[in-house]
Amino acid sequence: LHPFIQQSVTSTCTGRIEPEEQSGHSEQRASPARLPFGKKQLPPIPKNAAPITKPASTGTLAPSANGTHASYGPFYLEYSLLAEFTLVIKQKLPGIYVQPSYKSALMWFGVIFIRHGLYQDGVFKFTVYIPDNYPDGECPKLVFDIPVFHPLVDPVSGELDVRRAFTKWRRNHNHIWQVLMYARTIFYKINTTEPLNPEAAVLYEKDVQLFKSKVVDSVKLCNSHLFDQPKMDDPYAISFSPWNPAVHEEAKERMFTYKRRPDDHHKGTQVSGLSWVKPGSMQPFSKDDSPPQS
Amino acid sequence: MERDKNPHWLSRLNPRGPGSRTGRSAAPSGPCTADPETCLMVFENHWRQVSWVLEQQEPSSSSDDLTAVRNHTDQMLCLLAEERPAESAEGGAAPMGPILELVVTENILERLVQWHLRRGLDSDSQGALLKLFEMLIGQSQQQPLLQHTAVLHPLLRLLGACADPDLGCPLALENSLVLLLNQICVSMARQPVVLEMLFRAAPAQQGSTNLLIFSLLVPFIHRDGAIGQQARDALLLVMAASASNEAVARYIAENSYFCPVLATGLSALYSSLPRKIEVRGDDWHALRREDWMSVSSLVLFMNSLEFCNAVVQIAHPLVRSQLLDYLHNGFLVPVMGPALHKSSVDEMIASTAYLDLFLRSVSETSLLKTFLRFILLHRHDNDTILDTLLTRISSNSRLCMVSLSLFRTLLSLNCEDVMLQLVLRYLLPCTHVMLSQRQAIRVTDLYGKSADKFLSLIPECCRLNAASSAERDEDGAFWGKGGHPSIESPAPPRPSTPSRLAFFIRQQSSGGGPGGGGPSTPTSTEPPQSGASHPPCPDSPMHQQLANTECLDWDSGYLEYLKDSRQGIEICSWACRDWSAPYDGENPSPNVAAPPPPPPTSNPTMAMFPEHFSLQQGGSGSTPPPGQQRLLEQAPGEPQLPGDSNGQGISIEAFTQELRELEDRVRERGRAACQQEETARECLSSERRQPQQEEEQQPPSVPEPKPPTGDTKGDGPALVFGSPARPLNKPASQPYTGPFMVVLFAKLENMLQNSLYVNILLTGIVAQLACYPQPLLRSFLLNTNMVFQPSVKSLIQVLGSVKNRIEAFAASHEDFPAMLKKAQQYLVARGKVDWADSPAAVPNLRRSDSLVKSRKPSLGELILRHTNSPTRARHAAQLALAHVRDGGQSLHSALFKGGAGAGSLEKQAEALRVKNAVYCAVVFCEFLKELAALAQEHAVTLPFPHSQEAEE
Repeated sequence: LHPFIQQSVTSTCTGRIEPEEQSGHSEQRASPARLPFGKKQLPPIPKNAAPITKPASTGTLAPSANGTHASYGPFYLEYSLLAEFTLVIKQKLPGIYVQPSYKSALMWFGVIFIRHGLYQDGVFKFTVYIPDNYPDGECPKLVFDIPVFHPLVDPVSGELDVRRAFTKWRRNHNHIWQVLMYARTIFYKINTTEPLNPEAAVLYEKDVQLFKSKVVDSVKLCNSHLFDQPKMDDPYAISFSPWNPAVHEEAKERMFTYKRRPDDHHKGTQVSGLSWVKPGSMQPFSKDDSPPQS
Repeated sequence: MERDKNPHWLSRLNPRGPGSRTGRSAAPSGPCTADPETCLMVFENHWRQVSWVLEQQEPSSSSDDLTAVRNHTDQMLCLLAEERPAESAEGGAAPMGPILELVVTENILERLVQWHLRRGLDSDSQGALLKLFEMLIGQSQQQPLLQHTAVLHPLLRLLGACADPDLGCPLALENSLVLLLNQICVSMARQPVVLEMLFRAAPAQQGSTNLLIFSLLVPFIHRDGAIGQQARDALLLVMAASASNEAVARYIAENSYFCPVLATGLSALYSSLPRKIEVRGDDWHALRREDWMSVSSLVLFMNSLEFCNAVVQIAHPLVRSQLLDYLHNGFLVPVMGPALHKSSVDEMIASTAYLDLFLRSVSETSLLKTFLRFILLHRHDNDTILDTLLTRISSNSRLCMVSLSLFRTLLSLNCEDVMLQLVLRYLLPCTHVMLSQRQAIRVTDLYGKSADKFLSLIPECCRLNAASSAERDEDGAFWGKGGHPSIESPAPPRPSTPSRLAFFIRQQSSGGGPGGGGPSTPTSTEPPQSGASHPPCPDSPMHQQLANTECLDWDSGYLEYLKDSRQGIEICSWACRDWSAPYDGENPSPNVAAPPPPPPTSNPTMAMFPEHFSLQQGGSGSTPPPGQQRLLEQAPGEPQLPGDSNGQGISIEAFTQELRELEDRVRERGRAACQQEETARECLSSERRQPQQEEEQQPPSVPEPKPPTGDTKGDGPALVFGSPARPLNKPASQPYTGPFMVVLFAKLENMLQNSLYVNILLTGIVAQLACYPQPLLRSFLLNTNMVFQPSVKSLIQVLGSVKNRIEAFAASHEDFPAMLKKAQQYLVARGKVDWADSPAAVPNLRRSDSLVKSRKPSLGELILRHTNSPTRARHAAQLALAHVRDGGQSLHSALFKGGAGAGSLEKQAEALRVKNAVYCAVVFCEFLKELAALAQEHAVTLPFPHSQEAEE
């Protein structure tokens, strides 16, 4: 399993779900901003996971290629998704962690931590499904592993109504991080129009107290299944385990001390990356650290 | 490689081990093993004999006396050297051994030296004494002899005699003298207090100087051979020992000739370098170690340069800054400057290659800074060195290649100052893009549009598919499967992402290497994935390529380019993480960016007055009234954000932009009509009136480029530059991307006529530039959707025109496909040979991605790599020729189509033209893949944090 997700998540929420005051701290520690791993964020192949050979496809090459360079199409798609993932990391979304699946870059596993509000202490696992004609297709789907009690979440499938926020998916303007951000927003700002879960919507309008208690039950239910095996059988699926110092302590330590370096940094003994430009001056050699001409 | 060497100079400074003196120590070593009391008795016995001679009133001139004294002294000093002091009491200072005690109380050494001096020191005795002391100091590992004035002062007296202008040091004794000095320095390095004692010793003992040892060593700095090396090593030891001693450092800086000798010595050594470099292969473009090791004058120079580097590395800041100062003003400016401006092409080639070599050899940052300052700021005849070097890229063949090689070195430094002067300052004002496009500067190409565009430029005639279509199908067949929740039944295989790519990416990040252990922690128990032991995926393109190297599929090797691009971008962005600004079109703000120097007024002018390539002002055409001009200049800098526009509204901006563009067009027309020569002369005279010589001598207060007047540090408002101080005939800043880009693009456009090697270097440099993560540069080179000002040529335009030329060429040569195939075979074979014998083939356990080693490198990379080594390249070329010489016909003659034997000049020229064009087609296609890969990788690169942020 991907070490980061597993450990960071574990370190954040093991045992009990931390209250907001503390989670602010832990969020900082585990936030994607600090996530300094290899640029692609794609972890190594797990020991026992041999490359999966798929049945040979007879299909044509990726549709996004314009025909002339059909054989490059797959590169574009995968790179587009990698670029989207890079954007997610750059966004530093609070309390949201995602990880593309091992089998396909079109499927991302995620988990969202709700720090306050009605859904406080909720830890909701979800999966993002990206259409394979991305970015020209519809908006990605986001499905919660366990249907959260929420007006916009389908009580049966767990699917979040993403489309209402992205009526038309526009390449260059819409990004997957926005979907993730939207998934977070719904727990803080509750919208009841055209609900997927009419019961929740009605309760929220008519009987907030009951709604609240149902939400609390739902959060409890979700959290009680936290340590369940992942729904999807994928080496990169997110799984939680109780805090085990023997396993997690060292890994956590390493995470916090890790500094990202270029891949072959160790052989770069040569001088490079010099600058004597004083910030704001735009002039060479404007920094006055020990000018050679005394 | 030179770089790696320097930091290890200390390892060479270990004192010569006992092994090196076995010859001499064999003679008097007899009694040394005896017990201390016996030794003392023997010593006293010898001393009695000697002191009897010494005490005679008038110094005897008898050679018997001298011989006796010498023999006894030999024995005595050997005993002293070998003496082991008794075990010291806990913590207390080690007591002197009995012999040393006797030497001190009787002041034996002083009396001996005095005796020699009194009777007149002939060179024979002088040499004997030097050797004796050298033995004493070198051998006496047991007690710190030099800490006793009874040893130190006689030693200094002897050395003082060597420094005496009357006595001097005979040539024959120089070796002994330097060896002795070296020994003193070695033991001083072990006992820092000795330096202080040496320094404090009364000048009486040291002649006229405070640090005799130092003064004696300095003349040997630039000596050839072992003696020079010993002297330099010894001096470095003094440097190291004095690094924290302000008084000694001040003395060295103020009272010794160390720094001037070092710097002017370099000048002398430089002047003895060959003026012309004998060139063997037609691909030669840079001096490699194997090239210069056989040129003794160059070896001498490099030794001294290495020494300077080492001194800068370890010396006290006072000494360091003085040395750098002298190097700049005593070597670079008076010697390198004129050398680079010599009129003969051979000399230009040589001096450029030398400068490139020096830059590659220097490892100390402050020394490098001195060189870079010189290149970027120093003006020789009004032009910066950089300007001069830039113009040479457009020259033909060898000078171009050597210059490109120098720029490759400069780019590889990832130095902000260099990039600022070369490119960024021209892009900073953002006048090269349409106003509406400014926001696009930071946009990354998420969907591979630019990559697609680059790849679409691969000429149809170059798409020879060597691999069978079946193979390629298989190659592309490894689709990932996006399990979709909406589909209940097993989904039909749908194309999502090729798992080979996913695999490739994962492969990349596996292991993580020593610097990146973090991410792979849970899997770190597994052995590093070695490409050799388990080929990860038999169907991977790498594998396929290995099996199919005879020919290049037009779309082969793309994964390799992606991988190389990622590495290139990562290394570059890591190196640039501490730059002063992101250069993203907002920071630094285009509004405050100083207008860069305008382009040369016109090409004819440039040709006639090449030294005026970098006119600071001048120009021609219409002259807008100052007010309007200011408006024109300010307008494009206005922020785009509606919140910032401060009521001005977009329409005004659009209007001013239109006005501006109109203005440009008018001016363009006006300029064309203008008499070029007249203009040039005007510029010339106005330029001459500006005393600009040596303007960088008072840094850092003088900015560059220098506005005509005023102390503008570049952070003033744009208003300053619109002020009347600016000559009125200067055009409002014409969009201009700078001489570097212009000359590179011009050269690129001419690819079809360039030699293979020029094209390889050239495309390598553009690719190197395209690795830089700064959005200004990245968008300029790689964003194919950007709309530039009409006067600014984009890379994609240039490449498009090359594509057309290649296609036209191919259309007019019906055997083009065959020639292309042969050219590919030749290059691949050449690369294969080179790859096979490269040291990288040795498994390197430190690198987790040893898979890389087993793959066949991409073509462009291959070529680039082995052109780095002329010898290997030649070797490779020969083997490659043999390899492809099937049917007794070499590739070249095949390409030449009989041109080789035909003899007529015209035919030869035509053959060359064909050869260049065919090779160009191969390089061009690879270059496009490289650029496409770079464009894709930029979109998935995460920036590195500033190093301070990263530390905590």
